[in-house]
Amino acid sequence: MTKNWKRNLIGGLSFTSMLFIFQACYGTPHDVGYDVLVEGIVKSKTTGQPIKGIKVAPYNDMQQVFTDENGNFSFYIFAENGIGLRFEDVDSTQNGGFATKDTILNTFTSQVFVNIDLDNK
Amino acid sequence: MIQLIKQTVFRKFKQIETEVHELNYLFWECTTRCNLNCLHCGSDCAKDSKFQDMPLADFLAALDTIESKPAHFTVVLTGGEPLLRKDIETCGREIRKRGMRWSMVSNGLLYDKEMHIKLLNAGMGALTFSLDGLQESHNWLRNNKNSFAKVDLAIDLAVCSPRLNFDVVTCVNKRNVTELPEIYKYLLNKGVKAWRLFTIVPIGRATENEDLFLTNQQFKETLDFIANMRKLNQLDIKFSCEGFVGKYESKVRDSGFFCRAGINIGSILIDGSISACPNIDRSFAQGNIYKDNFYQIWQTKFEAFRNREWTKTGECKNCSDYKDCQGNGMHFWHGNKENVLTCHNHKLKNAILG
Repeated sequence: MTKNWKRNLIGGLSFTSMLFIFQACYGTPHDVGYDVLVEGIVKSKTTGQPIKGIKVAPYNDMQQVFTDENGNFSFYIFAENGIGLRFEDVDSTQNGGFATKDTILNTFTSQVFVNIDLDNK
Repeated sequence: MIQLIKQTVFRKFKQIETEVHELNYLFWECTTRCNLNCLHCGSDCAKDSKFQDMPLADFLAALDTIESKPAHFTVVLTGGEPLLRKDIETCGREIRKRGMRWSMVSNGLLYDKEMHIKLLNAGMGALTFSLDGLQESHNWLRNNKNSFAKVDLAIDLAVCSPRLNFDVVTCVNKRNVTELPEIYKYLLNKGVKAWRLFTIVPIGRATENEDLFLTNQQFKETLDFIANMRKLNQLDIKFSCEGFVGKYESKVRDSGFFCRAGINIGSILIDGSISACPNIDRSFAQGNIYKDNFYQIWQTKFEAFRNREWTKTGECKNCSDYKDCQGNGMHFWHGNKENVLTCHNHKLKNAILG
Protein backbone atom coordinates (compact mmCIF):
# COMPACT_ATOMS: atom_id res chain seq x y z
CA MET A 1 0.00 0.00 0.00
CA THR A 2 2.82 2.41 0.98
CA LYS A 3 4.67 1.54 -2.20
CA ASN A 4 1.57 2.19 -4.29
CA TRP A 5 1.18 5.59 -2.64
CA LYS A 6 4.81 6.47 -3.35
CA ARG A 7 4.42 5.15 -6.87
CA ASN A 8 1.48 7.41 -7.64
CA LEU A 9 3.11 10.41 -6.01
CA ILE A 10 6.40 10.12 -7.86
CA GLY A 11 4.76 9.24 -11.14
CA GLY A 12 2.27 12.07 -10.83
CA LEU A 13 4.61 14.79 -9.65
CA SER A 14 7.68 14.10 -11.70
CA PHE A 15 6.40 13.80 -15.20
CA THR A 16 2.94 12.92 -16.39
CA SER A 17 0.38 10.19 -15.90
CA MET A 18 1.71 8.80 -19.18
CA LEU A 19 4.38 7.10 -17.10
CA PHE A 20 1.77 4.48 -16.26
CA ILE A 21 0.44 4.24 -19.80
CA PHE A 22 2.90 2.59 -22.11
CA GLN A 23 3.16 0.18 -24.97
CA ALA A 24 5.45 -2.79 -25.03
CA CYS A 25 7.92 -2.86 -27.91
CA TYR A 26 5.97 -5.28 -30.02
CA GLY A 27 2.59 -4.63 -28.48
CA THR A 28 -0.21 -2.14 -28.98
CA PRO A 29 -0.91 1.06 -27.10
CA HIS A 30 -2.80 0.58 -23.85
CA ASP A 31 -6.55 0.76 -24.27
CA VAL A 32 -7.51 3.86 -22.31
CA GLY A 33 -10.62 4.70 -24.32
CA TYR A 34 -14.22 4.60 -23.27
CA ASP A 35 -16.94 2.37 -24.57
CA VAL A 36 -20.31 1.05 -23.55
CA LEU A 37 -21.60 -2.49 -23.77
CA VAL A 38 -25.05 -2.14 -25.29
CA GLU A 39 -27.23 -5.23 -25.06
CA GLY A 40 -30.88 -5.64 -25.72
CA ILE A 41 -33.81 -7.47 -27.17
CA VAL A 42 -35.99 -6.50 -30.10
CA LYS A 43 -39.62 -7.67 -30.22
CA SER A 44 -42.69 -7.17 -32.32
CA LYS A 45 -45.04 -4.63 -30.74
CA THR A 46 -48.01 -6.53 -32.17
CA THR A 47 -47.17 -10.10 -31.16
CA GLY A 48 -44.55 -9.63 -28.44
CA GLN A 49 -42.39 -12.16 -30.25
CA PRO A 50 -38.62 -11.59 -30.64
CA ILE A 51 -37.48 -10.56 -34.12
CA LYS A 52 -34.47 -12.02 -35.84
CA GLY A 53 -32.27 -10.14 -38.33
CA ILE A 54 -32.88 -6.55 -37.20
CA LYS A 55 -29.89 -4.34 -37.90
CA VAL A 56 -28.81 -2.29 -34.89
CA ALA A 57 -26.38 0.53 -35.62
CA PRO A 58 -25.11 3.70 -33.93
CA TYR A 59 -25.70 6.92 -35.90
CA ASN A 60 -22.90 7.98 -38.22
CA ASP A 61 -20.83 4.90 -37.57
CA MET A 62 -20.01 1.83 -39.64
CA GLN A 63 -20.52 -0.47 -36.65
CA GLN A 64 -23.59 -2.66 -36.78
CA VAL A 65 -24.93 -5.86 -35.33
CA PHE A 66 -27.92 -8.07 -36.10
CA THR A 67 -30.41 -9.59 -33.68
CA ASP A 68 -30.27 -13.36 -33.30
CA GLU A 69 -33.19 -15.81 -33.38
CA ASN A 70 -34.16 -14.73 -29.85
CA GLY A 71 -34.13 -11.05 -30.79
CA ASN A 72 -30.97 -10.43 -28.77
CA PHE A 73 -28.04 -8.27 -29.71
CA SER A 74 -24.88 -7.17 -27.95
CA PHE A 75 -21.99 -4.93 -28.92
CA TYR A 76 -19.48 -2.45 -27.55
CA ILE A 77 -19.70 1.04 -28.96
CA PHE A 78 -17.83 4.28 -28.49
CA ALA A 79 -19.03 6.10 -25.38
CA GLU A 80 -20.30 9.58 -26.04
CA ASN A 81 -23.07 11.59 -24.50
CA GLY A 82 -26.32 10.64 -26.13
CA ILE A 83 -25.74 7.53 -28.18
CA GLY A 84 -28.12 7.36 -31.11
CA LEU A 85 -29.16 3.86 -32.16
CA ARG A 86 -31.19 2.87 -35.20
CA PHE A 87 -33.15 -0.41 -35.38
CA GLU A 88 -33.84 -1.32 -38.96
CA ASP A 89 -35.49 -4.24 -40.72
CA VAL A 90 -33.19 -4.88 -43.66
CA ASP A 91 -34.17 -8.42 -44.67
CA SER A 92 -37.39 -7.41 -46.38
CA THR A 93 -40.23 -9.69 -45.27
CA GLN A 94 -38.06 -12.67 -44.39
CA ASN A 95 -38.75 -12.25 -40.65
CA GLY A 96 -41.83 -10.07 -41.03
CA GLY A 97 -41.88 -6.42 -42.05
CA PHE A 98 -41.16 -3.81 -39.37
CA ALA A 99 -40.82 -0.04 -39.28
CA THR A 100 -37.47 1.54 -38.47
CA LYS A 101 -37.08 2.93 -34.96
CA ASP A 102 -34.50 5.34 -33.50
CA THR A 103 -33.60 5.77 -29.87
CA ILE A 104 -31.15 7.87 -27.88
CA LEU A 105 -29.30 6.37 -24.92
CA ASN A 106 -28.21 8.81 -22.24
CA THR A 107 -25.96 6.67 -20.15
CA PHE A 108 -22.88 7.18 -18.07
CA THR A 109 -22.51 3.54 -17.13
CA SER A 110 -20.32 1.01 -18.87
CA GLN A 111 -23.21 -1.30 -19.65
CA VAL A 112 -26.80 -0.70 -20.73
CA PHE A 113 -29.73 -2.95 -21.64
CA VAL A 114 -32.49 -1.81 -23.98
CA ASN A 115 -35.89 -3.29 -24.80
CA ILE A 116 -37.18 -2.28 -28.22
CA ASP A 117 -40.62 -2.91 -29.68
CA LEU A 118 -41.03 -2.45 -33.40
CA ASP A 119 -44.29 -1.60 -35.17
CA ASN A 120 -45.40 -3.57 -38.16
CA LYS A 121 -44.95 -1.78 -41.46
CA MET B 1 20.42 20.61 -12.43
CA ILE B 2 16.77 20.06 -13.40
CA GLN B 3 17.86 17.22 -15.65
CA LEU B 4 19.73 15.61 -12.76
CA ILE B 5 16.67 15.84 -10.48
CA LYS B 6 14.47 14.36 -13.22
CA GLN B 7 16.94 11.53 -13.74
CA THR B 8 17.08 10.76 -10.01
CA VAL B 9 13.30 10.80 -9.63
CA PHE B 10 12.86 8.60 -12.69
CA ARG B 11 15.33 6.06 -11.32
CA LYS B 12 13.35 6.01 -8.07
CA PHE B 13 10.12 5.63 -10.01
CA LYS B 14 11.51 2.61 -11.86
CA GLN B 15 12.67 1.08 -8.61
CA ILE B 16 9.21 1.42 -7.03
CA GLU B 17 7.49 0.14 -10.17
CA THR B 18 9.75 -2.89 -10.01
CA GLU B 19 8.98 -3.52 -6.34
CA VAL B 20 5.22 -3.17 -6.87
CA HIS B 21 5.33 -5.09 -10.21
CA GLU B 22 1.69 -4.49 -11.02
CA LEU B 23 0.64 -6.67 -13.95
CA ASN B 24 -1.36 -4.48 -16.32
CA TYR B 25 -0.28 -5.58 -19.79
CA LEU B 26 -0.50 -9.22 -20.84
CA PHE B 27 0.53 -10.65 -24.18
CA TRP B 28 -1.30 -13.73 -25.33
CA GLU B 29 0.51 -15.58 -28.10
CA CYS B 30 -2.77 -17.05 -29.24
CA THR B 31 -1.39 -18.64 -32.42
CA THR B 32 1.95 -19.08 -34.11
CA ARG B 33 0.34 -19.66 -37.47
CA CYS B 34 1.02 -16.82 -39.87
CA ASN B 35 -0.14 -15.86 -43.35
CA LEU B 36 3.13 -14.07 -44.09
CA ASN B 37 6.74 -15.13 -44.12
CA CYS B 38 8.48 -11.90 -43.16
CA LEU B 39 12.22 -11.63 -43.63
CA HIS B 40 12.73 -10.19 -40.15
CA CYS B 41 10.45 -12.44 -38.12
CA GLY B 42 11.86 -12.98 -34.66
CA SER B 43 9.49 -15.78 -33.86
CA ASP B 44 10.10 -17.82 -36.97
CA CYS B 45 6.35 -18.17 -37.39
CA ALA B 46 5.10 -20.19 -40.32
CA LYS B 47 1.93 -21.13 -42.19
CA ASP B 48 2.06 -24.55 -40.61
CA SER B 49 3.11 -24.00 -37.05
CA LYS B 50 4.25 -26.99 -35.02
CA PHE B 51 1.94 -25.69 -32.28
CA GLN B 52 -1.83 -25.88 -32.22
CA ASP B 53 -3.55 -22.60 -31.37
CA MET B 54 -4.01 -22.38 -27.62
CA PRO B 55 -7.64 -23.24 -26.74
CA LEU B 56 -9.45 -20.17 -25.43
CA ALA B 57 -10.59 -22.04 -22.32
CA ASP B 58 -6.97 -22.73 -21.34
CA PHE B 59 -6.05 -19.07 -21.61
CA LEU B 60 -9.16 -17.96 -19.71
CA ALA B 61 -8.40 -20.38 -16.88
CA ALA B 62 -5.02 -18.68 -16.48
CA LEU B 63 -6.58 -15.23 -16.75
CA ASP B 64 -9.04 -16.13 -14.00
CA THR B 65 -6.19 -16.64 -11.54
CA ILE B 66 -5.41 -12.89 -11.61
CA GLU B 67 -6.59 -11.44 -8.31
CA SER B 68 -5.93 -7.76 -8.85
CA LYS B 69 -6.83 -6.07 -12.14
CA PRO B 70 -5.90 -2.42 -12.63
CA ALA B 71 -8.32 -0.18 -14.52
CA HIS B 72 -6.66 -0.39 -17.92
CA PHE B 73 -5.47 -3.96 -17.79
CA THR B 74 -4.96 -4.82 -21.45
CA VAL B 75 -4.64 -8.26 -23.00
CA VAL B 76 -2.69 -8.00 -26.25
CA LEU B 77 -3.48 -10.70 -28.78
CA THR B 78 -0.39 -11.49 -30.77
CA GLY B 79 1.03 -14.29 -32.83
CA GLY B 80 1.69 -15.35 -35.52
CA GLU B 81 -1.26 -13.56 -37.00
CA PRO B 82 -4.16 -13.45 -34.51
CA LEU B 83 -6.75 -13.01 -37.27
CA LEU B 84 -6.12 -16.57 -38.40
CA ARG B 85 -8.06 -17.69 -35.35
CA LYS B 86 -11.69 -18.26 -36.22
CA ASP B 87 -12.78 -17.53 -32.65
CA ILE B 88 -11.06 -14.16 -32.32
CA GLU B 89 -14.34 -12.35 -31.64
CA THR B 90 -15.28 -14.81 -28.89
CA CYS B 91 -11.80 -14.43 -27.41
CA GLY B 92 -12.29 -10.68 -27.20
CA ARG B 93 -15.75 -10.88 -25.68
CA GLU B 94 -14.63 -13.36 -23.03
CA ILE B 95 -11.74 -11.08 -22.05
CA ARG B 96 -14.11 -8.11 -21.74
CA LYS B 97 -16.52 -10.18 -19.63
CA ARG B 98 -13.70 -10.45 -17.10
CA GLY B 99 -13.38 -6.69 -16.80
CA MET B 100 -10.24 -6.44 -18.93
CA ARG B 101 -9.51 -4.59 -22.15
CA TRP B 102 -8.08 -6.22 -25.23
CA SER B 103 -6.09 -5.21 -28.25
CA MET B 104 -4.32 -6.80 -31.18
CA VAL B 105 -1.15 -6.64 -33.24
CA SER B 106 -1.80 -7.57 -36.85
CA ASN B 107 -0.18 -7.51 -40.27
CA GLY B 108 -3.52 -6.32 -41.67
CA LEU B 109 -3.71 -8.92 -44.43
CA LEU B 110 -7.13 -10.24 -43.29
CA TYR B 111 -8.40 -6.96 -41.89
CA ASP B 112 -11.40 -5.90 -43.96
CA LYS B 113 -14.55 -3.95 -43.12
CA GLU B 114 -16.43 -7.01 -41.89
CA MET B 115 -13.56 -7.97 -39.59
CA HIS B 116 -13.20 -4.39 -38.35
CA ILE B 117 -16.85 -4.25 -37.33
CA LYS B 118 -16.77 -7.68 -35.70
CA LEU B 119 -13.75 -6.80 -33.58
CA LEU B 120 -15.11 -3.41 -32.51
CA ASN B 121 -18.38 -5.10 -31.58
CA ALA B 122 -16.38 -7.50 -29.43
CA GLY B 123 -14.82 -4.61 -27.53
CA MET B 124 -11.39 -4.24 -29.12
CA GLY B 125 -9.92 -0.99 -27.84
CA ALA B 126 -6.44 -0.72 -29.30
CA LEU B 127 -4.81 -1.89 -32.48
CA THR B 128 -1.40 -1.86 -34.09
CA PHE B 129 -0.58 -2.50 -37.73
CA SER B 130 2.89 -3.07 -39.07
CA LEU B 131 3.89 -0.91 -41.99
CA ASP B 132 7.50 -1.36 -42.99
CA GLY B 133 7.82 1.17 -45.73
CA LEU B 134 6.15 2.34 -48.89
CA GLN B 135 4.90 -0.27 -51.32
CA GLU B 136 8.17 -1.74 -52.56
CA SER B 137 10.08 -1.84 -49.29
CA HIS B 138 7.08 -3.00 -47.26
CA ASN B 139 6.32 -5.85 -49.66
CA TRP B 140 10.01 -6.81 -49.70
CA LEU B 141 10.22 -7.14 -45.92
CA ARG B 142 6.80 -8.77 -45.69
CA ASN B 143 7.73 -11.09 -48.52
CA ASN B 144 4.32 -10.66 -50.15
CA LYS B 145 3.39 -8.54 -53.16
CA ASN B 146 -0.11 -7.75 -51.86
CA SER B 147 0.86 -6.90 -48.33
CA PHE B 148 1.08 -3.11 -48.74
CA ALA B 149 -2.25 -2.83 -50.53
CA LYS B 150 -3.93 -4.82 -47.76
CA VAL B 151 -2.47 -2.89 -44.86
CA ASP B 152 -3.21 0.37 -46.66
CA LEU B 153 -6.93 -0.51 -46.61
CA ALA B 154 -6.71 -1.75 -43.04
CA ILE B 155 -5.22 1.57 -41.91
CA ASP B 156 -8.12 3.42 -43.56
CA LEU B 157 -10.57 1.40 -41.49
CA ALA B 158 -8.69 1.83 -38.22
CA VAL B 159 -8.28 5.61 -38.47
CA CYS B 160 -11.98 6.20 -38.89
CA SER B 161 -12.85 4.58 -35.57
CA PRO B 162 -12.74 7.09 -32.68
CA ARG B 163 -12.94 4.20 -30.24
CA LEU B 164 -9.59 2.68 -31.20
CA ASN B 165 -6.28 3.68 -29.71
CA PHE B 166 -4.50 2.92 -32.94
CA ASP B 167 -0.91 3.20 -34.06
CA VAL B 168 1.40 2.08 -36.83
CA VAL B 169 4.79 0.50 -36.22
CA THR B 170 7.70 0.39 -38.61
CA CYS B 171 10.81 -1.73 -38.46
CA VAL B 172 13.50 0.56 -39.80
CA ASN B 173 16.06 -1.17 -41.98
CA LYS B 174 18.56 -0.37 -44.74
CA ARG B 175 15.87 -0.43 -47.43
CA ASN B 176 13.35 1.92 -45.83
CA VAL B 177 15.54 4.26 -43.78
CA THR B 178 15.79 6.79 -46.58
CA GLU B 179 12.06 6.87 -47.15
CA LEU B 180 11.06 7.73 -43.57
CA PRO B 181 10.03 11.29 -44.58
CA GLU B 182 7.81 9.84 -47.31
CA ILE B 183 6.24 7.34 -44.91
CA TYR B 184 5.65 10.21 -42.50
CA LYS B 185 3.75 12.14 -45.20
CA TYR B 186 1.82 9.03 -46.19
CA LEU B 187 0.70 8.42 -42.59
CA LEU B 188 -0.27 12.07 -42.11
CA ASN B 189 -2.37 11.93 -45.27
CA LYS B 190 -4.07 8.78 -44.05
CA GLY B 191 -5.02 10.49 -40.78
CA VAL B 192 -2.85 8.26 -38.60
CA LYS B 193 -2.15 9.86 -35.23
CA ALA B 194 0.63 7.70 -33.78
CA TRP B 195 3.74 6.10 -35.29
CA ARG B 196 6.36 3.98 -33.51
CA LEU B 197 9.68 3.11 -35.02
CA PHE B 198 11.80 0.08 -34.21
CA THR B 199 15.01 -1.45 -35.27
CA ILE B 200 15.22 -5.16 -35.96
CA VAL B 201 16.58 -7.56 -33.37
CA PRO B 202 19.14 -10.02 -34.72
CA ILE B 203 17.18 -13.14 -33.83
CA GLY B 204 15.07 -15.68 -35.73
CA ARG B 205 15.08 -15.37 -39.52
CA ALA B 206 16.47 -11.84 -39.25
CA THR B 207 20.01 -13.03 -38.58
CA GLU B 208 20.31 -14.20 -42.18
CA ASN B 209 19.94 -10.82 -43.84
CA GLU B 210 22.42 -7.94 -43.46
CA ASP B 211 20.01 -5.52 -45.22
CA LEU B 212 17.81 -5.57 -42.15
CA PHE B 213 20.27 -3.89 -39.82
CA LEU B 214 21.06 -0.21 -39.71
CA THR B 215 24.61 1.08 -39.65
CA ASN B 216 25.50 3.25 -36.67
CA GLN B 217 25.14 6.34 -38.83
CA GLN B 218 21.74 5.26 -40.17
CA PHE B 219 20.56 4.59 -36.64
CA LYS B 220 21.59 8.08 -35.55
CA GLU B 221 19.86 9.55 -38.61
CA THR B 222 16.69 7.66 -37.67
CA LEU B 223 16.69 9.13 -34.17
CA ASP B 224 17.46 12.60 -35.57
CA PHE B 225 14.50 12.19 -37.87
CA ILE B 226 12.21 11.21 -34.97
CA ALA B 227 13.48 14.09 -32.82
CA ASN B 228 12.91 16.61 -35.61
CA MET B 229 9.45 15.35 -36.49
CA ARG B 230 8.37 15.40 -32.84
CA LYS B 231 9.01 19.13 -32.81
CA LEU B 232 6.36 19.58 -35.52
CA ASN B 233 3.61 18.11 -33.30
CA GLN B 234 1.72 16.79 -36.31
CA LEU B 235 2.01 13.13 -35.44
CA ASP B 236 2.78 11.30 -32.19
CA ILE B 237 6.00 9.82 -33.50
CA LYS B 238 8.36 8.02 -31.17
CA PHE B 239 11.18 5.52 -30.93
CA SER B 240 9.96 2.26 -29.40
CA CYS B 241 10.86 1.22 -25.86
CA GLU B 242 13.35 -1.31 -27.23
CA GLY B 243 16.54 0.24 -25.87
CA PHE B 244 18.36 3.02 -24.06
CA VAL B 245 19.48 5.81 -26.37
CA GLY B 246 21.56 8.03 -24.09
CA LYS B 247 21.37 11.73 -24.95
CA TYR B 248 18.43 11.10 -27.28
CA GLU B 249 16.18 9.76 -24.48
CA SER B 250 14.20 12.96 -23.94
CA LYS B 251 14.10 13.77 -27.66
CA VAL B 252 12.57 10.62 -29.10
CA ARG B 253 10.08 9.41 -26.48
CA ASP B 254 7.54 10.77 -24.01
CA SER B 255 9.41 9.34 -21.02
CA GLY B 256 12.77 7.73 -20.34
CA PHE B 257 13.78 4.19 -21.20
CA PHE B 258 12.22 1.59 -18.93
CA CYS B 259 12.05 -2.05 -19.96
CA ARG B 260 8.88 -3.16 -18.16
CA ALA B 261 9.15 -6.82 -19.14
CA GLY B 262 8.30 -8.86 -16.05
CA ILE B 263 7.55 -5.65 -14.13
CA ASN B 264 4.24 -4.63 -15.71
CA ILE B 265 4.31 -6.83 -18.80
CA GLY B 266 3.62 -10.55 -18.73
CA SER B 267 2.80 -13.12 -21.36
CA ILE B 268 1.24 -16.47 -21.93
CA LEU B 269 3.01 -18.06 -24.84
CA ILE B 270 1.75 -20.61 -27.33
CA ASP B 271 2.94 -23.64 -25.33
CA GLY B 272 1.59 -22.24 -22.06
CA SER B 273 4.91 -20.78 -20.95
CA ILE B 274 4.66 -17.80 -18.63
CA SER B 275 7.04 -15.01 -19.52
CA ALA B 276 7.06 -11.34 -20.55
CA CYS B 277 7.32 -9.92 -24.09
CA PRO B 278 7.10 -12.75 -26.65
CA ASN B 279 10.39 -11.78 -28.33
CA ILE B 280 12.34 -12.45 -25.14
CA ASP B 281 14.46 -15.59 -25.15
CA ARG B 282 12.20 -18.50 -24.26
CA SER B 283 14.69 -19.76 -21.69
CA PHE B 284 13.48 -16.92 -19.43
CA ALA B 285 10.07 -18.61 -19.02
CA GLN B 286 9.05 -18.62 -15.36
CA GLY B 287 6.48 -21.38 -15.40
CA ASN B 288 3.69 -22.88 -17.47
CA ILE B 289 -0.07 -22.41 -17.18
CA TYR B 290 -0.57 -26.14 -17.69
CA LYS B 291 1.12 -26.91 -14.38
CA ASP B 292 1.36 -23.64 -12.46
CA ASN B 293 -0.99 -20.97 -11.15
CA PHE B 294 -0.35 -18.07 -13.50
CA TYR B 295 -0.80 -15.23 -11.01
CA GLN B 296 1.19 -16.98 -8.32
CA ILE B 297 4.09 -17.23 -10.77
CA TRP B 298 3.71 -13.54 -11.61
CA GLN B 299 3.74 -12.57 -7.96
CA THR B 300 6.55 -14.79 -6.75
CA LYS B 301 8.94 -15.46 -9.65
CA PHE B 302 10.38 -13.22 -12.38
CA GLU B 303 13.56 -12.58 -10.40
CA ALA B 304 15.68 -12.23 -13.57
CA PHE B 305 13.31 -9.53 -14.82
CA ARG B 306 13.08 -7.57 -11.58
CA ASN B 307 16.71 -7.67 -10.65
CA ARG B 308 18.80 -7.04 -13.75
CA GLU B 309 22.17 -7.14 -12.00
CA TRP B 310 22.99 -10.29 -13.97
CA THR B 311 23.18 -8.14 -17.11
CA LYS B 312 26.32 -6.44 -15.77
CA THR B 313 28.44 -8.53 -18.04
CA GLY B 314 30.10 -8.16 -21.41
CA GLU B 315 30.00 -4.58 -22.64
CA CYS B 316 27.49 -3.65 -19.92
CA LYS B 317 29.93 -4.60 -17.16
CA ASN B 318 31.73 -1.28 -16.85
CA CYS B 319 29.28 0.97 -18.69
CA SER B 320 28.85 4.43 -17.15
CA ASP B 321 25.18 4.55 -18.25
CA TYR B 322 24.24 1.24 -16.63
CA LYS B 323 22.02 2.84 -13.94
CA ASP B 324 19.70 4.24 -16.59
CA CYS B 325 19.98 1.42 -19.10
CA GLN B 326 20.18 -1.71 -16.92
CA GLY B 327 21.24 -3.94 -19.75
CA ASN B 328 18.95 -2.53 -22.45
CA GLY B 329 15.71 -4.35 -23.37
CA MET B 330 15.38 -7.88 -22.05
CA HIS B 331 14.83 -9.13 -25.59
CA PHE B 332 18.45 -8.30 -26.40
CA TRP B 333 19.66 -11.15 -24.17
CA HIS B 334 19.63 -14.41 -26.03
CA GLY B 335 21.65 -17.60 -26.16
CA ASN B 336 24.40 -17.76 -23.54
CA LYS B 337 23.49 -14.25 -22.29
CA GLU B 338 27.12 -13.29 -21.92
CA ASN B 339 26.65 -10.05 -23.81
CA VAL B 340 23.83 -7.79 -24.94
CA LEU B 341 22.94 -8.38 -28.62
CA THR B 342 22.69 -4.68 -29.42
CA CYS B 343 23.71 -1.59 -27.48
CA HIS B 344 21.85 1.38 -28.98
CA ASN B 345 23.85 3.78 -26.86
CA HIS B 346 27.14 2.49 -28.24
CA LYS B 347 25.81 2.65 -31.77
CA LEU B 348 25.00 6.32 -31.26
CA LYS B 349 28.31 7.10 -29.61
CA ASN B 350 30.17 5.36 -32.42
CA ALA B 351 28.13 7.24 -35.02
CA ILE B 352 29.02 10.56 -33.40
CA LEU B 353 32.69 9.60 -33.26
CA GLY B 354 32.48 8.65 -36.94
